[in-house]
Amino acid sequence: MNTESRKQALRHFFGNVVEPMGFKFTPDADLAEFLLEQEVKLEAKHGIPFCPCQPIRRDRSRDMRIVCPCIPFHREHFDAMKRCWCGLFVHLDVTDPDSLPQVPAKEVGSE
Amino acid sequence: VSDDFVQAIRAAEVTPGGMRAVELKGRELVICNCGGSFYAIDRRCGHMNAPLEMGTLDGSILTCAMHCAQFDVTTGEALSGPVPPYLGNEIPPPRTGAFLKNVGVLMQHIRTESIATHKAEVESDWVWVAL
Repeated sequence: MNTESRKQALRHFFGNVVEPMGFKFTPDADLAEFLLEQEVKLEAKHGIPFCPCQPIRRDRSRDMRIVCPCIPFHREHFDAMKRCWCGLFVHLDVTDPDSLPQVPAKEVGSE
Repeated sequence: VSDDFVQAIRAAEVTPGGMRAVELKGRELVICNCGGSFYAIDRRCGHMNAPLEMGTLDGSILTCAMHCAQFDVTTGEALSGPVPPYLGNEIPPPRTGAFLKNVGVLMQHIRTESIATHKAEVESDWVWVAL
């Protein structure tokens, strides 16, 4: 199995899922490529494309909340940041993803 | 179409996003309709031989119904292996647990191989496949 093909497949599936939720892939193409590559590696290891920026705890109920795209499980938090935790997805109106800081959930009062 | 093409199925019988199994010259194939473009692939999953037409087709990506291995029907390339099984939170009875563990060990050694593709063309409302 080849990483590039799998990245394209994940792009296809994720794009269809995140757009109805008001998100899109980050316009930062290099970042998107890097994060997708990490997800492909995580999927090859665990069988599931986990978020590359959150810890896997070996606790299924918690780990299922970080399967990419994990937007539905962190909606309030991500909407407040206008991006997901990694920055792979941003709100549809975002054109400058570098201007969106990563803010811990506690600081936006969502968890 | 040239002589090596075999008449497979009426194009109208495979709706966009759909798949149909056919047998041509003793070979099991699946005809896939990806938004009006037809592709022919071997019927058996490159992971554990399940019939692929029972899976789902999203764009050109076919997901096997058995363990969710995925393939690109345009190239036959294996895109992902099986998803890990989820047995729930309950601990299975010891004998069942031992059996599942055994199966798990065996399955770890099963590779997901790419599948063969065949050229498909539509002519006179029929899909023709090169064999």
